[in-house]
Amino acid sequence: MTVQVNSEGAIELSGRCGADDAEALQRHLLAMPGVTVVWSRCEHLHGAVVQVLLVAAPPLSGTPKNAFLKTHIAPILNKKRTT
Amino acid sequence: MDELLAQFVIESRELVDKAVDDLLALEKAPNDSKRFEDVFRAFHTLKGSAGIVEFAAMQKALHCAEDVLAVARSESTPVAAVDIGNCLTCLDQVIEWLDAVESAGAIPPDADAAEIVALFARASSEPIAAGAPRSGDDWVAELSRTHAAAAARAHTALRYTPDPESFFRHEDPLARIAALPGVLAIDLAPRVPWATLDELDPFSCNLTIMALLAASPADVVTALGGESRYCELRALSQGARRSEDESVAQKAAELLEAQLHLLESVEDGHQHGRMASAGVVAANVLRHLGRTSEAETIATAAAVAIAESRVQPLLEAIAGAAHGPAAEAPLESETSMAHRRDARQTIRVSAERIDALVRLTGELIVSNNGLGHAVRLAEQEGSSLAVTLKNQHASLSRLVAELQRSVVGMRVMPLSAVFRRFPRLVREMSAELKKPANLVLEGEDTEADKAIVETVVEPLVHILRNAVDHGIEDAAVRSAAGKHAVGTITLRAFREGEHVIVEVTDDGAGIDVPKVKQVAKGRNLVAADDLAAMTDEQALDLVFLPGFSTASAVTEVSGRGVGMDAVRTAVSRLGGRVDIRSTAGKGTTVRVTLPFSVLVTQVMTVEAGGQLFGIPLDAIVETLRVEKGGIFPVGAAHAIVLRNRTIPLIRLADVLARRATDVGDDVGPVVIAQLGGEVGAIQVDKIGERLDIILKPLDGLLAGMPGLAGSSLLGDGSVLLVLDLGEFVR
Repeated sequence: MTVQVNSEGAIELSGRCGADDAEALQRHLLAMPGVTVVWSRCEHLHGAVVQVLLVAAPPLSGTPKNAFLKTHIAPILNKKRTT
Repeated sequence: MDELLAQFVIESRELVDKAVDDLLALEKAPNDSKRFEDVFRAFHTLKGSAGIVEFAAMQKALHCAEDVLAVARSESTPVAAVDIGNCLTCLDQVIEWLDAVESAGAIPPDADAAEIVALFARASSEPIAAGAPRSGDDWVAELSRTHAAAAARAHTALRYTPDPESFFRHEDPLARIAALPGVLAIDLAPRVPWATLDELDPFSCNLTIMALLAASPADVVTALGGESRYCELRALSQGARRSEDESVAQKAAELLEAQLHLLESVEDGHQHGRMASAGVVAANVLRHLGRTSEAETIATAAAVAIAESRVQPLLEAIAGAAHGPAAEAPLESETSMAHRRDARQTIRVSAERIDALVRLTGELIVSNNGLGHAVRLAEQEGSSLAVTLKNQHASLSRLVAELQRSVVGMRVMPLSAVFRRFPRLVREMSAELKKPANLVLEGEDTEADKAIVETVVEPLVHILRNAVDHGIEDAAVRSAAGKHAVGTITLRAFREGEHVIVEVTDDGAGIDVPKVKQVAKGRNLVAADDLAAMTDEQALDLVFLPGFSTASAVTEVSGRGVGMDAVRTAVSRLGGRVDIRSTAGKGTTVRVTLPFSVLVTQVMTVEAGGQLFGIPLDAIVETLRVEKGGIFPVGAAHAIVLRNRTIPLIRLADVLARRATDVGDDVGPVVIAQLGGEVGAIQVDKIGERLDIILKPLDGLLAGMPGLAGSSLLGDGSVLLVLDLGEFVR
């Protein structure tokens, strides 16, 4: 599974998150408002998943290793959270 | 060069010429809305054709021009003069590319639209005359502001708005951006304001992705592939850098001129200091421009000048550097002009002019035949001029033959020109009839006369329709018969001597011969006795009879009352013939045999009833001589037996004179002719020679006369009537 609720109750994104994961993520975020999303093990985010993260703006934890996510997507998602 | 590409070049050139004219007219009358629409359409069409041949750079450049025009159109404002200028520059670039395509036979791999893109981007970033900033480009400024560091290095700004359905197409916009070359910065924005989380449709793409990239716009377009249509690109900073370069070059030129001026006032043997300083300045200027070898030359020249106390060497060196590149430039453009002249090897000539040439060549051939006749007369009379005349006639004949070949060659075009439309046609028909079929093209490079190529389309369309409709079975039937569910129709063309053969083969059910016979009988097309005696081969030929159609249901595709008889009529009008072969369960082949050229018809002359006639050589199988008793009566008619086969015989003189004589005991030459599967014998009084003639359709009183295909003028001035044997068979 690429979208899971881990033992600490946070949503964990791992591996390559495809379009299908967007709905699962949306469901989890709606069920647990304010929950942290851990994405350090995430390798790729589909645009559909990014849309959900942009709208929900959950607190993000960790830094993905993937250069594109780290350099380009992380600042956008983090900026969204602070505004 | 690829036929498609050749066509693209020819058409694009026409469009460019048209667009240039219209742009210039528009410049004079900016409110001329018709001109404007013409310009817009020309750019749009050009862009479209560039897309068809996958010329990305040209497409991109024209897209920019089209954007500018579209803005003017949507705002109903006249196109600004600067935009007209840019559009013209864009067309100049297109012409250069077309030249490159023509000389290389392929799309130049290094074609780059960046310059044109930058040109338009610069114009759009400058406030237009009214002072209002160009709408729609705020995002570039915004992006450059928020990512100032990246913007300094960026060559391209990209705004990518994937269509909302893109996720369903398995498109991953972010992955596409991540895969682009030289991504420097990214920004995301909603296309329309975000919904709340519970109302968000995660599968509808609402992202607008903006990016700054180090790669050139052209490279970005290439990397974007098909998604580029959802993208806007702007070239950044290159324009600024370029103008900087230009101003540096300008300054350098001024400095060099100043040194020349300085040196011109120097007299030999004096003022070493001035020479030294001029040398140093000039060398430094050139070094700054990166022209180091020239700088060294000047430094050396300065040393020589000072040592020899002569200003001339330095003056020449600096003048060389100052004017050198300028002097070289026209040379270069001259070579490129010569190159261009070489490249433009095709000129479009109207078909009328070609036809006039064809007609004249025809007259020349006839006149040359006449000369041949005169030469024979001179020989018979033992004239002293006979030998000279004969030699002259021989060389004239050779030239005329060569001319004829060239003229025929001018009208020749590959069948691919018309074959190209068939795959789509078959696809549509196969979808409509729900009979899955693939069309395989073979030998589309085969050439034939333009008239043949163009006229053969309609018969071929009909044959293909038949193949899909009647030939190919339903997928279920095919599978049950152990065939591949998707039928294959092969359209094959090849040259066979003076003929071009086009075959349409399907791997369908084949023609049901008993059913054909049954239908022919049911429609009273053939007498029952004849039917019984028919071989399968002959029975197959029944499908060419007027009024024959085995289609049980009238479909949209075929069975519209145009049968195979129309195909045969159309083909024989071209001087060709159609044959059909079929194997039950294996498929059907329809073979169309066409003459290579329509210019010259080969005939054999025969004499009957004291008059000369021509019989098209195509129709003649063989000639033979019947011996006494070789002709015997069959009912009211006559026949001969050839290789154990009874062949009906007609006596040409009788048919034409419309009187019947007893031919039973006659001996004499007989022409065996084949027409549409029927073999017949024609008895004539004498067999003449083989002639190349220009067949002219009959007009005036003779027009519509049955049995005659046309006429031609013979060498001695007499008229040769050419027979249409098809009429005799009927």
